[in-house]
Amino acid sequence: MDPARTLGPAQIDVLAQLFVSTILLGGIYALIAVGLTLIFGIMRVVNFAHGEFLMLGMYLAFWSFALYGLDPYLVLVAAIPLFFLTGLVTYALVMKGVIRASHNVQIFTTVGLSIALQNLALVLWTGDFRFVRPWHASVILRVGASAFNLSQVVAFAVAVAFTIGLFAFMKWTHAGRVMRATAQDRDAATLMGIDTDRVYRLTFAIGIACVGVAGVLVSPLYSVYPTAGLQFVLLAYVVVVLGGLGDMVGALLGSVIVASVEVVGSYVVGSAWKEVLYFLLFIAVLVFRPAGLFGQRGAENLGV
Amino acid sequence: MHRRHLVVVSAVVLALALVAGSSSGQAPSGEYKIGLLEPLTGPLAFEGKRHLEGYEIMRDMINDRGGVMGKKITFAVGDATDPTAAASEANRLITRDGVKIITGTYSSTLCGAASEAASRQNVIYWESSCVDPRFARRGLKNVFRTEIDGTGFGWYNIEFIAKHLAHRFNLRPNQLKIAFISEDSSYGQGVTEAARQRAKQEFGMQEVASEYYAFASTNDFTPIIVKLKQLNPDVVHHIARGNDAVLFWRQSREQQFVFKALVHAGATGYGSPDFGKALGADGNGPFVLAEPGPGLRLDALRPEAQKLEREFTEAVKKRTGAEPYASHRLAGAGLWLLKLVLDEAKTDELDRFRSAVMSLDLPVGSTLNGWGVKFAENGQNANERVQHYMLQWQNGQMATVWPEEFTTIRAKWIPLGPWDQRK
Repeated sequence: MDPARTLGPAQIDVLAQLFVSTILLGGIYALIAVGLTLIFGIMRVVNFAHGEFLMLGMYLAFWSFALYGLDPYLVLVAAIPLFFLTGLVTYALVMKGVIRASHNVQIFTTVGLSIALQNLALVLWTGDFRFVRPWHASVILRVGASAFNLSQVVAFAVAVAFTIGLFAFMKWTHAGRVMRATAQDRDAATLMGIDTDRVYRLTFAIGIACVGVAGVLVSPLYSVYPTAGLQFVLLAYVVVVLGGLGDMVGALLGSVIVASVEVVGSYVVGSAWKEVLYFLLFIAVLVFRPAGLFGQRGAENLGV
Repeated sequence: MHRRHLVVVSAVVLALALVAGSSSGQAPSGEYKIGLLEPLTGPLAFEGKRHLEGYEIMRDMINDRGGVMGKKITFAVGDATDPTAAASEANRLITRDGVKIITGTYSSTLCGAASEAASRQNVIYWESSCVDPRFARRGLKNVFRTEIDGTGFGWYNIEFIAKHLAHRFNLRPNQLKIAFISEDSSYGQGVTEAARQRAKQEFGMQEVASEYYAFASTNDFTPIIVKLKQLNPDVVHHIARGNDAVLFWRQSREQQFVFKALVHAGATGYGSPDFGKALGADGNGPFVLAEPGPGLRLDALRPEAQKLEREFTEAVKKRTGAEPYASHRLAGAGLWLLKLVLDEAKTDELDRFRSAVMSLDLPVGSTLNGWGVKFAENGQNANERVQHYMLQWQNGQMATVWPEEFTTIRAKWIPLGPWDQRK
């Protein structure tokens, strides 16, 4: 008896639940992808260490909770300046030296940073799985037959807020305009008197602050361990390419698309196929719309 | 020219010195050196370190009893982060430290490569914990394994479901609806396929689903759970690897997916202490096939096994502040069996060592973990002698609940009721 064959009230409940899961999972991916798309889009650097900053955010939430009993949502407030600062320091120590180097050098550098951070976490905090269990982690909201996990709803809301905030920042502030100008043509921007080094520093710091916040927000949902970042970061690249480099709204929509492929694919075909499905989508986008589903034609070559 | 000459000469001298050093092997200083490979850094390190603790504790216990072949055991330790490192570290232990026996390596991803390397140099490889069934099927004469193989896990799980659970659901085994879900590594597949085969062929259970997933990139189980919920299985057979156990259990609760029992095998996933830490009493219910834990009836074991059990448990508690984990027990029992063989063989020369291995014949209940010993020609300890136990999560503790003749604690929540009534 194939449950997908007849469409009764039970099937409508299933569809509703799958829809809810897609949106909430998409929110988590978007949270991670917005910072990545910013760094990718403006600096043209593929930050392979992105997932490790997510992991650091998760550990910040874990230790604040384990040692001081602080709720992750309180830690969130401190995480923004803290990770902004981390971004500035990382930029000064690591990224500044390679920002004008070839892509290969940048890839080696960020991969190296990623492995270094994973092993630093392993040495400092061991490889044990850790858990953050604030009271709201097990709160489940039910609407009709669909279940929403409260922590996921909050993560989704923050993802949307960050996307809108960054979109507005890029579009309407002076700093945002300067960043877009630098992304479009680094040399021309320099000639117009823009301090591109400062722009890159700011971009990197904002990007890291975003992913640090993401780490704190997902900590009640997933276990915390040194390689936790790897669980999400590959997906974040797919999302960024789907949405178009540097496109915030694209990242949000891309996240929901990847999540829907994952959820529907797992339900209909089987979870073993889910990665095949979204990487097929990824390749199709690269072949047919290299600028991303929502990007402008030619944007993929800008500033390279 | 003179300088180059000098360099060549010193290189030759150095090489000779190294060869001389290695051929002297076990110095007659009253110590016997065994190579020990475990993943001590990298993603498997958290288990590798527990294994190392288990080995060290058992080493001290053996040394207190006079060591092996009249010498105290010492370890030359190698860090087997991944299969490549496992092979190169095995080579290093053999050529640099001159060991004649290597033991380890915790993971099914490592034991194949490490034993292959040992085999090439005709060194004895003594595996205490990997379960990949392919390990003992390569026709290698120097390779032995004390732990059960993965097919044994599947066999035990179905045994438990068919003979202990089914009648308590008022069902015959062939009326049971069973759903298989597993992470997709060689471990998960080995156990799951063995279980599927036995469930279908021997008991005629009704398989309603079989799903594999990649544990490192599965961030949401809701679609699988929604699907399973409609298929309404009595038993979920889930082999999990890490965080996936916690996520599946938590999301099943969110979705109010009610099944009668969940059965897992091995020290990962539901078998990891992390599962209890993550969920506390919310994690009540799942069954884990593993080495014995709290509730083991010591008086069901032979006297010498009782003594070993008591001493080993105390030593682990003293060192870690907690009951022994499965990883401690696998390492401890593995090294103890090696001692028994060396006592018998009195040498590490392969042929005599091998015949000593084959001559060992101890019934269940004879040694640590209640294990017995009877090796087959392929170097595998017989699955039915490697007694395994069903443990159940009960209020943050994994309690030994089956076979009942070995335990003082009884399984609860059969069948599992609604999610909020499992206290």
